[in-house]
Amino acid sequence: MREVIYLKTNNETGCGLCDATWGKYYKDIDGDNMVFCCSICADIFEEMVRRVKENTGWKSIDYVELHGNYSRGRECTARNGDDTFSYYFRTYSDGKFITFEKR
Amino acid sequence: MKCPVCLEKVQSYHSMASHFLSEDEKSDPGHVMFLNRYISRNRIEQEQLSDNLERFFHMDNGFRNWIIRTFVNRFFGDSPHPFILENQHPKPYIIRGYAMEHHHFLWQWVRSCSYIIGNSDNDDVVQYEIENITSEWYGTNDSPSHHELLLRMGEAYGLNRKDILNSIPLPATESAKEFWSYACKNLSWQEGMSAMHSLELIANRKVLEYGGKFGYFDPSVMKSSEIREEAKEFLKEGYLADVSHSERALIIIERHSDLEMLQNCQAVFMKSIEYFYDYLLARIERGYILENKQ
Repeated sequence: MREVIYLKTNNETGCGLCDATWGKYYKDIDGDNMVFCCSICADIFEEMVRRVKENTGWKSIDYVELHGNYSRGRECTARNGDDTFSYYFRTYSDGKFITFEKR
Repeated sequence: MKCPVCLEKVQSYHSMASHFLSEDEKSDPGHVMFLNRYISRNRIEQEQLSDNLERFFHMDNGFRNWIIRTFVNRFFGDSPHPFILENQHPKPYIIRGYAMEHHHFLWQWVRSCSYIIGNSDNDDVVQYEIENITSEWYGTNDSPSHHELLLRMGEAYGLNRKDILNSIPLPATESAKEFWSYACKNLSWQEGMSAMHSLELIANRKVLEYGGKFGYFDPSVMKSSEIREEAKEFLKEGYLADVSHSERALIIIERHSDLEMLQNCQAVFMKSIEYFYDYLLARIERGYILENKQ
């Protein structure tokens, strides 16, 4: 049986990426049916998870701490067990990544 | 009045709130982002949303001041635009990205100004736009155009003039060009002018007086050797010209519009600055690409 690993973030009240409580858009991220405010936030989050895995070689992510916004970009730390990975990213308003760098 | 996201006609702030809530039910990204950025990050109900929208759009000190205040908050406020931060002391890669993407902006600019002339029967507008087209693209015997100064700046930083002229705009720049072309061709001249000339506030010297945390660039770069003379010439032209350009345009719009037209102009302005926001990011992305930083 496949083990379902739930990806949690510090955004507990609203959208998994920006924490807004407008909209309700669901997307499967690593087996977890996560809620976002819109399809763009969902796509950004999915791409962010893909890039973290690509950079770390992790199979899954337990938790992501996100700080910032669309204008400033987002400073994040992802955790997998005892391992952590800190990074920064910025996107266009349509979700296309401009920057993703290890911090 | 119009919705500031999809430009659909609405009768009142109450019906604008209903429209936003209906789009919120569909999780429409554009409408959700507007609410999130400008109104509230947390969902609010119809009556409060209606009040908040009315407060946001209320022109207590007139149209020109509302445009300036909203623009300054968006680009020079607590979270300044990343290009503004980079442009305080611009590195060569930023100047190269600026030179290449801005060529496409100016190409569209003069066409947008021409559409505005075509849609107007007002002599003030025609004179203003002809002066604008001349200074931005053609120049005079006494002074090269802003476009020519841009090309010289790019060349001074190692770009080939032909490469700039033959380049293809990045997707964000292309989308913005499409919107500005649509707005100036199909909407009223007042809405077209609001879409375009408000953007010149970006280089307005009075941004700090208007409450901005930064100016377009740190004026100390003009007196130091950190940027080349060609970059100083280019930045100086915009810096000196744009105060009269942008504010004069807003005064013309205000003088020749009733309240309903000014409200429509607010909506088109809001949409235009979202495209402009991404276009300024494209200058950074182009800089990265030219520098192989990606």
